[in-house]
Amino acid sequence: MAVLNRMDWYDLARSTNWTPSYVSEDELFPPKLSGDFGLPQNAWEKYDEPYKQTYPEYVKVQREKDAGAYSVKAALERSRIFENADPGWKSVMKAHYGAIARGEYAAASAEARMMRFSKAPGMRNMSTLGCLDEIRHGQMQLYFPHEHVAKDRQMDWAFKAYDTNEWAMIAARHFFDDIMMTRDAISVSIMLTFSFETGFTNMQFLGLAADAAEAGDHTFANLISSIQTDESRHAQIGGPALKVLIENGHKAEAQKRVDIAVWGAWKLFSVLTGPIMDYYTPLAHRKQSFKEFMEEWIVAQFERALTDMGLDLPWYWDIFLNDLSQTHHGMHLGAYYWRPTLWWNPAAGITPDERAWLEQKYPGWNDTWGQCWDVFIDNVVDGNMEKAYPETLPAVCNMCQLPILGTPGKGWNVKDYPLEYNGRLYHFGSEVDRWVFQQEPERYAGHLSIVDRFLAGMIQPMDLNGALHYMNLAPGEIGDDAHNYAWAEVYRAMRAAKKAS
Amino acid sequence: MALFPLLSNFEGDFVLQLVAVDTENTMDEVAAAAAVHSVGRRVRARPDCIMRIRRQGSEDFLPRTMKVSESGLKPTETVEIIWEAARH
Repeated sequence: MAVLNRMDWYDLARSTNWTPSYVSEDELFPPKLSGDFGLPQNAWEKYDEPYKQTYPEYVKVQREKDAGAYSVKAALERSRIFENADPGWKSVMKAHYGAIARGEYAAASAEARMMRFSKAPGMRNMSTLGCLDEIRHGQMQLYFPHEHVAKDRQMDWAFKAYDTNEWAMIAARHFFDDIMMTRDAISVSIMLTFSFETGFTNMQFLGLAADAAEAGDHTFANLISSIQTDESRHAQIGGPALKVLIENGHKAEAQKRVDIAVWGAWKLFSVLTGPIMDYYTPLAHRKQSFKEFMEEWIVAQFERALTDMGLDLPWYWDIFLNDLSQTHHGMHLGAYYWRPTLWWNPAAGITPDERAWLEQKYPGWNDTWGQCWDVFIDNVVDGNMEKAYPETLPAVCNMCQLPILGTPGKGWNVKDYPLEYNGRLYHFGSEVDRWVFQQEPERYAGHLSIVDRFLAGMIQPMDLNGALHYMNLAPGEIGDDAHNYAWAEVYRAMRAAKKAS
Repeated sequence: MALFPLLSNFEGDFVLQLVAVDTENTMDEVAAAAAVHSVGRRVRARPDCIMRIRRQGSEDFLPRTMKVSESGLKPTETVEIIWEAARH
């Protein structure tokens, strides 16, 4: 029997809107869940997805993708890649799995909200496939690390991280709760798929796959590539929704959602991806600095995506471009200095050769970030380790939940962005974080940061051990230097040589 | 006498930190408490300087002997700890 070409029947088959007669349109599509922006069903029927795929096509392609990734894993299981990998690379895996795997399952429920509640039939079809994608990503990114759990307790955080009060996970949950768990279908399409996935994750997965291949971890490279191909499809769910909103006079609401989600995504990437690219990845394997990567893959691409759509660049674009050279250095120094509170072992990445690379990529690094590291390095070289660990908490932002930081040393510009709201003093890490809060204060006002919880007596005893217990970090899971401070030998040798000369 | 949390923004350091002081502490004592978490950890000591406290956004230092309870500072307010050349 002859089979019709897909495009001969696709539009008709996915035109699944009808005029309800037993219930009202608002009952069928409750505005709070649908996010209809006051637009009737027929306005949303103009939604035209750029990537059209049918269910049989989807199943065929996904089966092949799964077969590819799982067979590479099976073939390489005895290759001892994990045992032989640079400890910095293992930290990349641990950070990635913990921060991402269970978030993928959560994303499946966000996709399911678009699938059920969007008034746009095309969006419902695409997010049906998107939902299945996210379930697959959750399953794979829990299954793949599982073979390492017996070798390394920190690998258990692939599953465990989302159930804890570890500070980075509070930050991740706060962000994902905001953009995908507590928003209507249309807002999810804008904030999760267009802003977070098109803007950031799609490209992040490309970069990470390349890094994995460079590190010789072909299992991880295949896994990440396999996921990325799904992302590049379902990340396109938001674009046509933005078009419908703009054509119907709702540009301002659309723009605000983009601006909020892009900023939160940037902050999360500054703590996760920035340190990985500029500090954890062994020097020989670095292709681009984080800043170069962001400028090439994120800034240029995303600027085009926004303007093609008829949107403006976010009002804070100059702040963002400036922060690309700074914020992640602070996130790395903070995460590293407070390393007992991580579920991975951060690589310091500050040998003389690595510092020369940092200075070249970020002129002025030695006079700013380097000044803090100089003191730290002296403490390690001198065996003054009690000064190499923290004795208090950093202040964290009441929006992104990450440390409030700025440039140190000769470029010192650290600043709090406070706001008093309903008698409570909030602290923010930037003007943009504070702006996000001000857009809808009641949405965020009740949340307690890790510091707020500490001050409220929720962390007992009120010391580092109490904090580690609160963060569910058990012995054997607590982070420390990835290379057990082997890098300090270079500095010891330099000192000895200087003394001898 | 009551515990009083402040956020320390120490000159030359990269991050704000929580510092617990007492309402009876003077500004010099607040500076010393903040220094514990920055100096010798990520900021070099400067023996030729003393440390002064000011509110964020202010150019003026609070008097060295002023107590926290007299300062009008709010719990968790950010104070800047600034190196000032010691007078000889």
